[in-house]
Amino acid sequence: MKVLILNGSNGSPGLDAVIDGLKSGMKERNIETTELKLNEMKYSPCRGCFNCWVKTPGTCVFRDDGDILCRELIKSDMVIAAAPLILGYPAATVKNALDRIIPLIHPYIEEVDGEAHHRKRYNKYPAMAFMLEKESDTDAEDIEIVKDIFTRAAINLRSRLAFIKYTDEGIKGVLDEINIC
Amino acid sequence: MKLTFVNGSPRGVSSNTGKLMEHFINGFLETQGNSVETFYMIKERPGFESIINAVSPAETVLLGFPLYVDAMPGSVKEFIEALAALKGKLPGLKMMFLVQNGFPETCHNRYVERYCEKLTHRLGFTYGGAICKGGCEGLSVQPPVLVDKVFRLFNEIGRAFGQTGNLDNAMLVKLAHPEHVKAENIKQVAQMVNGFLWDQWMKKNGVEHLSFAKPYGEDL
Repeated sequence: MKVLILNGSNGSPGLDAVIDGLKSGMKERNIETTELKLNEMKYSPCRGCFNCWVKTPGTCVFRDDGDILCRELIKSDMVIAAAPLILGYPAATVKNALDRIIPLIHPYIEEVDGEAHHRKRYNKYPAMAFMLEKESDTDAEDIEIVKDIFTRAAINLRSRLAFIKYTDEGIKGVLDEINIC
Repeated sequence: MKLTFVNGSPRGVSSNTGKLMEHFINGFLETQGNSVETFYMIKERPGFESIINAVSPAETVLLGFPLYVDAMPGSVKEFIEALAALKGKLPGLKMMFLVQNGFPETCHNRYVERYCEKLTHRLGFTYGGAICKGGCEGLSVQPPVLVDKVFRLFNEIGRAFGQTGNLDNAMLVKLAHPEHVKAENIKQVAQMVNGFLWDQWMKKNGVEHLSFAKPYGEDL
């Protein structure tokens, strides 16, 4: 079991403590963990040029840390994106990272459960998971919207959504979920 | 009426978002006295100061973007985070959205549409609705008769908006068609899109034999 943590923390002490707790918990359980600190990486936002599909299939034409994101993600069994919610959606650093992994899928569309989605490039993709920090005004509707969006994003990345947890739930439940997955 | 259009496409001036909005704007400008100011989000990163400064006195802002991984592009999320500076300060500001996606169906946009509405309320602005449209990738290789129909509807929606200040719901529903596509029809569309758009594009670049390349290996 290999877990990749995409650490999109903006330095919030609460979130950082949860991420540290997760890392040591996984170490105790002998789960191989890699952490990428997104704020220390340099990757441009995806520009939607599609060159990763039609010019250099499978690789982005930008020569930056987006390459590391793709390389680490595809060899993992689970990716946990850890980030604060900012205006009801995870921090832009995390979304920019997710946009940069589209070289891992294929441009072709095909029918998946009655909808058009992209085809796989690789045989196996990591399960997607999120550890998010709420804002002071986060409500049930926000949580529902985030869950629905990432359930669908997981389908398009030919993965599945393992879980979305919030920092106020503690980490024990998360470690149990990772063990099950 | 003055409309401030923020083109949130990372492709900037050559975006499908812009091509669609051009027709909306032409319709909008048919009403005398209406005017439009356009900003390209991608040119204003990372601070977005000129857009934020323009938004403050604006009456109506339309933020348009393509669907990226089932939501707004990351660079649009950066812009949204910059809007936090205006939270609660502009209750009279009407905010509207255009979300377009490259799949054949519009249904993919409905999840981020809910986000857009919630975001507008959270910022304390007035929600003016969202124009949602699927099937917007490869406009240049689609049958012109279909593309013209979409452009015409954008023009009509823009014209009606220019007259009333509101998005016409019946027109939005018409534009959004098809909301869903039957499984057997998706298979047909997929064959066309995969062949005429993607295969041709790869062929032009001489890389069709690399279509399914796995540069990051399979068993690293």
